[in-house]
Amino acid sequence: MAKTYDYLFKLLLIGDSGVGKTCVLFRFSEDAFNTTFISTIGIDFKIRTIDLEGKKIKLQIWDTAGQERFRTITTAYYRGAMGIMLVYDITNEKSFENIKNWIRNIEENASADVEKMLLGNKCELEEKRQVSKERGEYLAIEYGIKFIETSAKASIRVEEAFFTLAKDIKAKMEKKLEASNPPKGGHQIRATDPQKKPTSWLSRCTLL
Amino acid sequence: MDELPSEVDLLIIGTGFIESIISAAASRIGKSVLHLDPNDYYGNQWGSFNLQALLDYNPDPSEPCDFRNKSFSLKNFHYEWLMEDQKEDLLKNSRKFNIDLTPKLHYCRGDFVQLLITSNIARYSEFRSVTRILTWLNGQLELVPCSRSDVFASQKVSVVEKRVLMKLLTSLDDILDSENTHNFKKFLESRKLSDNLVTYVMAMAGATEHTSLGEGVKSVKRFLDSLGRFGKTPYLFSMYGSGEIAQAFCRLSAVFGGIYALNQQNLISLDSEDNRITSLTTTKQQIRAQNYVTSLEQCSEKFLRPVKINNYISRAILITNKSILPSEQEQLSFLIYPEGTERIINVFELGSLTGTCPKNYYLVHLTSKQVTTPQEDFKGALGNLFSGSDQPQIIFSCYFSIPETSDLDFENVPENLFLCPGPDNDLDYNSSIQKAREIFEKMYPDLEFLPRAPDPEEIIIGD
Repeated sequence: MAKTYDYLFKLLLIGDSGVGKTCVLFRFSEDAFNTTFISTIGIDFKIRTIDLEGKKIKLQIWDTAGQERFRTITTAYYRGAMGIMLVYDITNEKSFENIKNWIRNIEENASADVEKMLLGNKCELEEKRQVSKERGEYLAIEYGIKFIETSAKASIRVEEAFFTLAKDIKAKMEKKLEASNPPKGGHQIRATDPQKKPTSWLSRCTLL
Repeated sequence: MDELPSEVDLLIIGTGFIESIISAAASRIGKSVLHLDPNDYYGNQWGSFNLQALLDYNPDPSEPCDFRNKSFSLKNFHYEWLMEDQKEDLLKNSRKFNIDLTPKLHYCRGDFVQLLITSNIARYSEFRSVTRILTWLNGQLELVPCSRSDVFASQKVSVVEKRVLMKLLTSLDDILDSENTHNFKKFLESRKLSDNLVTYVMAMAGATEHTSLGEGVKSVKRFLDSLGRFGKTPYLFSMYGSGEIAQAFCRLSAVFGGIYALNQQNLISLDSEDNRITSLTTTKQQIRAQNYVTSLEQCSEKFLRPVKINNYISRAILITNKSILPSEQEQLSFLIYPEGTERIINVFELGSLTGTCPKNYYLVHLTSKQVTTPQEDFKGALGNLFSGSDQPQIIFSCYFSIPETSDLDFENVPENLFLCPGPDNDLDYNSSIQKAREIFEKMYPDLEFLPRAPDPEEIIIGD
């Protein structure tokens, strides 16, 4: 089967419960918004393939599955992530303060060179704003990462955010590729792996 | 922080392998699951740790309480730096280590791989093939031939021997029927196999001199069955350590609504009435459930009588500076080391490609049935593998014993409380999956155990 993309990027969404991570994900992957899914049942990750500078890039974006609620995100969640969207809610001061804790969590668990980006979501709720845009910008500068205010509901700059993150990962990756050949990763087991059932186990006994 | 729910279908305490599978299976069929762990990490005795966390590991937390059962905690936990000058460098790279308390291999066609595929959990984890199988014969390491090219490359198997072996293996099924009571090794010898071949076949079976013919044949068949699917040997190892696996099941559980809370220091008691658990009391609330699952390690003594642990598993973890059998490419080795006449030591040597240790180092896991103490049990093997001037040096070593609990039975356990044993001494997870399935089926007879999870693109959220 021909590959339908040039690169596959694994991205994660991280941040407090209720900041709109799943909504951001749906806005980007389905261009849809739905306030009724309060928790995230059954949503593992979403995929969208984008065109970027002449390359097809498949973005596989993982949701926390609610494991952020009691801070029980598995270390396995972070494996192989190339980009992380740190999301807070501009109408929720606490979610902004917690970004620092999430960054610490990322530092402990994700690969050191993971590309990060800060999202201040729900920017359509200007009248309820608790976190100024300047504070968001300032925090992003402090960590040397990019910052965007988005609204999943009003569809503001969500697209731009993911494209920016993908672009930065691509640039970093191509720089690395030039420098050296990437090490081989592990293999995922798929149902499509050869599952031939030979007539007897002996036919596989290559000792013979 | 949010409050925990006060009523669920299933309450699980402990995030070990068996509990995690049950959690995933129950969430998957729509049961509401609350999954708690007094520890601040996933996995209990099935967990993996970075180097610093391993050094900080405390198998005997100060106060015993209802949710820490000392009888089942690790024993004889001890570590030591043998090359102090490397300590700083290793601790700087602490995070690059993923050190399993209970490392396991997976048969390429075993129940575990099958479950990963049928349940669609495979997407949460990556695997590497074990690249070579070694055994110890006449004072040196020998490569066990697993593929045609291995056999051709091997000077040690003659054409005649190949023919003898073939004849033997083709008749395995008949042998089982006719000679079930025999001893496996004696049987191999009676078939005029050379010492080399006997050793190779014994290694494939993980057999000792006491292994019965039935067991031996079964194991060899399992080995051969799993050849030729992924990689050169019948075995896979989980990238970043076996501890990832329990977490993968927890993730699946969470995706289907399971609620997770670790570091639960505020649990007080499981309350029972008329031989049923009625609720879990914490310092803040009462939580009711229809069924309760706990790890033995985290189950109050009042439900576990009698406690008599007969067997322990000896474990050693080493960090070394090179491979026991260096080669051009980094290898993932499984060494089957016969120790005396009744014991096999399983040795996994993991390099940096497994994601369990930094470059230029090797992480070596030794596992065996315990006879005296882990130190004593592995002394001979370590002497043979790590003492010569051209052999790898041990930088760091850690020893402990794991109580073998998979065969324990308890009397008068409340009828809606299900107990999950800790790790067993098997190479793989098959018996543990079986245990999880049994508990699931007791709670939810007639419901499907881990049906395939939908792919993300199959989920359509309506307006």
